[in-house]
Amino acid sequence: MTEAVPDSRIACHECDLLMQRPEIHGDQVVHCPRCGSRLISSHPNSAERSLALALAGLILLVPANLFPVLTLEVLGREQQQTIFSSAMALYQDGLALVALAVLLFAIMVPLLKLVLLAYVAGALHLQTPWPGLSLAMRSYQHLDQWGMLEVYLIAVLVSVVKLVDIATVHPGLGLYSLSALIAVTTLSSSQLDPDLFWHQIDDLNKSSLVQETFDE
Amino acid sequence: MNSWQHGALAQGLLRCHDCTALWPVTMDSQHCPRCGAPLHSRAPNSLVRTWALLLTATLLMLPANLLPIMRVAMLGQGEASTIFGGVIELTKHGLWGIAIVVLAASILIPVGKILALTSLLLTIQFRWTTNLRQKMIMFRIVHWIGRWSMLDIFVVGILVALVQFGNLAYIVGQTGALAFGGVVVFTMLAANTLDTRLIWDRHLQEASIGSET
Repeated sequence: MTEAVPDSRIACHECDLLMQRPEIHGDQVVHCPRCGSRLISSHPNSAERSLALALAGLILLVPANLFPVLTLEVLGREQQQTIFSSAMALYQDGLALVALAVLLFAIMVPLLKLVLLAYVAGALHLQTPWPGLSLAMRSYQHLDQWGMLEVYLIAVLVSVVKLVDIATVHPGLGLYSLSALIAVTTLSSSQLDPDLFWHQIDDLNKSSLVQETFDE
Repeated sequence: MNSWQHGALAQGLLRCHDCTALWPVTMDSQHCPRCGAPLHSRAPNSLVRTWALLLTATLLMLPANLLPIMRVAMLGQGEASTIFGGVIELTKHGLWGIAIVVLAASILIPVGKILALTSLLLTIQFRWTTNLRQKMIMFRIVHWIGRWSMLDIFVVGILVALVQFGNLAYIVGQTGALAFGGVVVFTMLAANTLDTRLIWDRHLQEASIGSET
């Protein structure tokens, strides 16, 4: 059976310009000469850096979600808020879809992105063809823009400003964890080299195919 | 060789949307051998889908701005708050900086996004050929900035969760928030379904026909 091999050139995803693959040395960003889009963002140790950052993110995700982000104090009474409780409060007001959006964009998608990234980067680092690598990488790319932790953090700051005149607001451990988590996820997005990832995934999948035919 | 023939499609190649591999155009609507994603030379029905999503978002702008997104009650006195009302409220307290942030995220960005996407769609539809690089920069900004409009939705969620003090003070989320969330999600989807390569296809075909005659 002959195996399909893709063309060695590259095409711009925004204007379809066909080009020879440029030679890349170290950390380098290649832009499309015609429309200016970012073609390749190269990071040689992308798998190791992504794995480290994804694991750090998964650890930080726990306190960011378990501890209160803000505590409001009015006449000696306290009310605490976590990311999850802000979704639940919307649900109780009859805004189930809005609650779902908060749940997805501020909790589920960030969690899923970190899990997928750790899975793919882990497989590449260990050079083991774990099942479903392509699907995991594709899912990560499609979920990318729907994780909105940094927007949530700005929303926390806006809320503090709105409330600070009428009551006492205390930042909680959740807020510090959330800030650290955002630093880690932002760094992980900037250190990800999808081009390198796809080539390494392809190599791993092919080597496993060769292994299987060899076993037979 | 005419300039539009520099495109991958003109040379018989299509690019996998997910893993960027280049395959012969004969593999259109098959699955990518490398990553398994469905292959399309151009995003299917890009124009129709984007127009539909954009129209939905535009219609939702009305309830999003006219209906209250939350109701603030203090000592039994209730007051419904719209998005714009919230901005005015902030300026009354002298919080200009934060008022500008909310104004930008909740009103300027959604309106700007709808206008920008409309102009890109018209560019494709009427084969306009001017300022394409600038239009691509505009598209990238629209694509990147979309998520920031969720700001007000998150603020409502946080306030509703925090301000729960019975008769003393409480905040309830209202239907305007649903419509506004819809605007944000639908404009993000519209930016995703728009295939910017269409802008270049039309422009360059036009240019090459012009140069031949």
